[in-house]
Amino acid sequence: MPVAMGPYGQAQPSCFDRVKMGFMMGFAVGMAAGAMFGTFSCLRIGMRGRELMGGVGKTMMQSGGTFGTFMAIGMGIRC
Amino acid sequence: MCVSPRSSSPWRIVDDCGGAFTMGAIGGGIFQAVKGFRNSPAGMNHRLRGSMTAIRTRAPQLGGSFAVWGGLFSTIDCGLVHVRGKEDPWNSITSGALTGAILAARNGPVAMVGSAAMGGILLALIEGAGIMLTRFASSQFPTGPQFAEEPAPVPAPSFGDYRQYQ
Repeated sequence: MPVAMGPYGQAQPSCFDRVKMGFMMGFAVGMAAGAMFGTFSCLRIGMRGRELMGGVGKTMMQSGGTFGTFMAIGMGIRC
Repeated sequence: MCVSPRSSSPWRIVDDCGGAFTMGAIGGGIFQAVKGFRNSPAGMNHRLRGSMTAIRTRAPQLGGSFAVWGGLFSTIDCGLVHVRGKEDPWNSITSGALTGAILAARNGPVAMVGSAAMGGILLALIEGAGIMLTRFASSQFPTGPQFAEEPAPVPAPSFGDYRQYQ
């Protein structure tokens, strides 16, 4: 990964690196949040067993994607 | 959050508010573009127009709600820093929960508790991810010249700004 050196001999991540990092972090956070809230809401609408797994997985991916996008934008507008 | 020298003033609240609005507006624009495109009747012209309409109606709304959240959050966060006199993840978590509670105040106590739990859990996850990240990156924040005499700068990226999106 090519990194530019900052003024204090410190590695300074490039803008794209930070956006990428923001997306990864947002995706991780979103997956965790989706696992929790998805389990609740899927149980509430009466999913059980294999169906529940699918529902939770779908919610996890969805919220991970949403969170990741928003956090990537949040990183992008600050650099 | 109030650690960096830029942000120890009340202007940080305005800053966060605007940042949150921008984030919500851009993100909402992206998502609403796709949604409007898919929900329109067939034909490229209709689809593009539907996508445009969806962006114009919904993206500023989303930005506004993001801005309210961000502004209230950083107000409470800075207030907590001032009152407690220290900075730790509990500040963020508490202010996330309080923000959720306050914003749901008009929907009754049950909704307040639910929303507070959601905000608290979300902020706890984000703070946890931040702590993990600092541990992984294992390099100092680029805070100033006190690192100038470090012999071999580690090539690991230092994400000093990772908290500022909130």
